Amino acid sequence: MPSFLFYLFAAITLGFGLNVILARNPVTSALSLAVSFVGLAALFISLDAYFIGIIQILVYTGAVMVLFLFIIMLLDIQKEEAKRANTAAVIGGVVLAVVLTLQVAAVLGVFKEGAVTTEQRALSMEVASKREDVAQVKTIQKDLAAGTLPDAKLMGMTLFEQYGFHLQAIGLLLLVGTVGVVVLSKRESPGKPVV
Amino acid sequence: MSVFNLEALLALLGLFVLLLEAFVPSVSSKALAGICMAGVAGVLVLLVTVAGGQDALPAFIGAYHQLDTLAIFYKAFALVITFLVLWLTLEAAPYLSKFTLDGKLGEMFSLPLFVCVGMMWMASAKDLVTVFVSLELVTVSFYVLVAYTRKSALALEAGVKYLILGALSTGVLVFGVAWVYGATGALSFEGITKAVQVGGVNKTALLFGVSFLLAGLGFKVAAVPFQMWVPDVYQGASTPTTVFLSVGSKAAGFAVLTRVIDALTVSGSMVRQEVITVLSIAGAVTVVVGSLPALFQTNVKRLLAYSSISHAGFLLLALAARDSVRVDLAPGGTVAFYLATYLPMTVLGFAALIQMRLNGRGEELDDFKGLAQKSPTLAFLITLAFASLAGLPLTAGFFGKMWVMLGLVDQQLWFALVCAIIGAAAGFYYYFRVILAMFTPEESTEPVRMGALARGVCVVLGCTIIVLGVYPKPLQMLLAKVPVAGKNATGH
Repeated sequence: MPSFLFYLFAAITLGFGLNVILARNPVTSALSLAVSFVGLAALFISLDAYFIGIIQILVYTGAVMVLFLFIIMLLDIQKEEAKRANTAAVIGGVVLAVVLTLQVAAVLGVFKEGAVTTEQRALSMEVASKREDVAQVKTIQKDLAAGTLPDAKLMGMTLFEQYGFHLQAIGLLLLVGTVGVVVLSKRESPGKPVV
Repeated sequence: MSVFNLEALLALLGLFVLLLEAFVPSVSSKALAGICMAGVAGVLVLLVTVAGGQDALPAFIGAYHQLDTLAIFYKAFALVITFLVLWLTLEAAPYLSKFTLDGKLGEMFSLPLFVCVGMMWMASAKDLVTVFVSLELVTVSFYVLVAYTRKSALALEAGVKYLILGALSTGVLVFGVAWVYGATGALSFEGITKAVQVGGVNKTALLFGVSFLLAGLGFKVAAVPFQMWVPDVYQGASTPTTVFLSVGSKAAGFAVLTRVIDALTVSGSMVRQEVITVLSIAGAVTVVVGSLPALFQTNVKRLLAYSSISHAGFLLLALAARDSVRVDLAPGGTVAFYLATYLPMTVLGFAALIQMRLNGRGEELDDFKGLAQKSPTLAFLITLAFASLAGLPLTAGFFGKMWVMLGLVDQQLWFALVCAIIGAAAGFYYYFRVILAMFTPEESTEPVRMGALARGVCVVLGCTIIVLGVYPKPLQMLLAKVPVAGKNATGH
């Protein structure tokens, strides 16, 4: 990807991210977050991670943010009153930001200037996955030969084969979550005596 | 029938009960509890009978599931505590159902089954992904269980607190897992063990990740400084749920913690000393922070919450005293033994609270006054449970505490030892304050009654306390098979 596109999308992500916390109107905040996610998705796609990019838009922008907007509009939240900043919260936020920056700096410090990038290295099984059995899959071989990263296929293989058990455990977890929502939000039955 | 199918069986039973409760409204609490308890007991029997004959697991499941002595022990432990919690729920049903929205306790019987499934998976987890998924199953079920008696304002407050702090700790845990994976390149305990031995790992990154990992798990087992939620949540949740949190959740947390610590402190590990130091300090502070506020509690349920924190401290200290083999137990074995003794006394203590509520009394210290006159049996059983929690010789609690302290002496962790002694001494004061209250005469002569089933189960629990306190050898021998870290990762 041309580097100006990277800077464009990075600016969109950061700028609208900033707008989320600066905007006084909650609807503006929510919409800014959605746009910020779109910028992030573009960055993922620029890294050949099409699957994550699309999922980012489908799940976060499409579902989660729209849900946020619905709730904000349903509750009819008005403009936030200008209130004094909570000192403890500000200090906590600054500390978190500093810690996060230090981490990113530490991780980036490990990578050396002039390391091999994906563009310099031909797409092969070695780059795509360390798993032996995946190399046997025909469609994955085809993708690699065509020079595209079979990321959705690789992820599917990992998720449904290697982590098949965990996927089912999460299914059970979601069921419990659903039961919890129903149990805790159901109406009080009118006929019962209340003590 | 293989051991690894048992969780699936239990999950199916949970689904069945859920559907039964939804589509057959006429089914009574008693019937639901009966089905669940029978199912759990059946699975326990299967576990005990089948467990011995297992050697190899099929490859597809062996990658994330193991069946060593520790796993079987914690699976059995999870089943026993689930059974007892179901019984306590049934016992407390007359007053608990007043606090639910529909006046029924439907899901309070099926949700513990899912918690049990999660705890059993945690017991035999081999990698951090499995740990995380099963831990979340347990935690999410607990979010619902804690807030289930919604009409009680305390329960609602407890539910919100537990949800927010629980979600935060989950985030911290995943963050730690990510860093450990980034530093070692491994998610399995085996891989982490190898990575910390071989070297070539960025130590700062690893320690950073380990500190978050321990913080996340520390929240689940209520270790200082992540114990703030305990008193409010334990007091607000319905008593059966409190028992489940205090015993089940703690045991499952320590099952995982045992494996994580074993992997990180294997001989030759680059972070061994740091992890042991953190554990001994956290354990020592936890004992003191749990014990000192308990001295001033007048609410017995809240007192038991603080006592639960203090016991978590002792368990952490058992893990910190790594190399002590004075009682033939590896650190994991000592923890398992301590938990096995902790189960009957805690359940008995809370069961007594339920009996008090059933007799129209509260959970304050004053409500216990004169109990010895009105119900000598109940008073005797409470005395037994609290004496054991304090660690009186000839009760189950004695050996656990003594072994932890002996281990600290062996390892020359003097600061931790002093804290443990302070905690144990404070324990004698606050537990015996309750006992003293019961033997204080009182004028009112309202009788205190116990049902036949309650009496039976409580007497069994009391006998367990005495038997474990007088003759702990069989359990000790059983747990002596728990391997010392790094020497033997699989097999019995």
